Amino acid sequence: MRALTAALAILWSLPALAARFHAVPGVAAPDFALRALAGPNVRLSEHVGQVVVISFWGSGCDACRAQLEALEQDFGRYGAQGLRVYGIEVADDQTAALSFARGTHVTFPLLLDPAKAVARLYDVDNLPMTVLIDRDGKIRQVVRDFNETSRRACEDELRTLLAE
Amino acid sequence: MLEVTLPLARRPAGRCLTAKAALLAGLAALVAAPASFAAPPPPAPPAVTSPTTINPPAAAISPAAVAAPEAATSSPPGATPPVDEQVQSLKSDVLDLNRDLFVLEQELLYPANTQVAVFVAMDAGTFFALDSVQLKIDGKEVANYLYTPREVNALVQGGVQRLYVGNLKVGKHELVAFLTGKGPHARDYTRGATLQFQKDIGAKYLELTITDDQSKLQPQFRIKDWE
Repeated sequence: MRALTAALAILWSLPALAARFHAVPGVAAPDFALRALAGPNVRLSEHVGQVVVISFWGSGCDACRAQLEALEQDFGRYGAQGLRVYGIEVADDQTAALSFARGTHVTFPLLLDPAKAVARLYDVDNLPMTVLIDRDGKIRQVVRDFNETSRRACEDELRTLLAE
Repeated sequence: MLEVTLPLARRPAGRCLTAKAALLAGLAALVAAPASFAAPPPPAPPAVTSPTTINPPAAAISPAAVAAPEAATSSPPGATPPVDEQVQSLKSDVLDLNRDLFVLEQELLYPANTQVAVFVAMDAGTFFALDSVQLKIDGKEVANYLYTPREVNALVQGGVQRLYVGNLKVGKHELVAFLTGKGPHARDYTRGATLQFQKDIGAKYLELTITDDQSKLQPQFRIKDWE
């Protein structure tokens, strides 16, 4: 009886949990529209049907630079297959972010989130944080770190997503 | 995503409930009698409609079983329709129900007596590339929308976007719209448009229109009250 009650309680709280933790694999990626450092505004929901990678970064984060450069390689390799990559800046200092962006030689759009609204939507608690979104607009993987292992796992998942 | 509005026929709330009841009844029938899809209509031969003939073992294939699809398509009148048709019918019912629920939700959230809606439309747009619109009603920000090139293109092609819908009390109100974008010679351009309006009992529709002023070679912003 207690087990049944516990199971019911868990089932009852699932929607609330899902509402709280937006960046959970299997959940529809929250939509957003942001200005780009260079180029037109970007709205996520316009990319349904494409594999999208969102990487949250900050100018004061060394690992973010390596992460963006790794994503640049992926973008060059898989861009023609429908991969879209967006870097979202969540740092406080916009000037530093601009100079950081100039220092990285990425060709994919870097977006600005000055109000941190999108960072809150995706529960960004670590930088860099990468979110992989499938062609149906659902979150497939959230990587809250950057190292060789996570990069390999990310690439494997990307290949799977692009093949779907 | 840009929401382009189309006129919706007002439906009585009762229809929604009827549709829901019909859908529930359909689902209940599906759950209660899954075998009924394969159940034979009385006059049909057993070899045609037996569930085992759907995927028969190779040894069991007979000329009568091979002819089964043809016989199934020409089922007698009054027989249970094929599964595909039933599924399509259910999908259609679900879509209808979803639409009715949306209309019902809109009516509940924004009753006709207090409803106020602001639409955005664009005519030409040669002198102005829209980037964002911020709306304030009585000094309070109610909407802030960032446009992508696809959305701007939809507006230029004649689309009308419902940017805001909310509720207001009867009385005098002020709507202020701040528009940002690129003006003539690709320069940053920010302009405002204001409208004082009287909200009476009944829905109030306001339209923010962006047009080209050919004489001044400048964009023009107007807020129109749909009387």
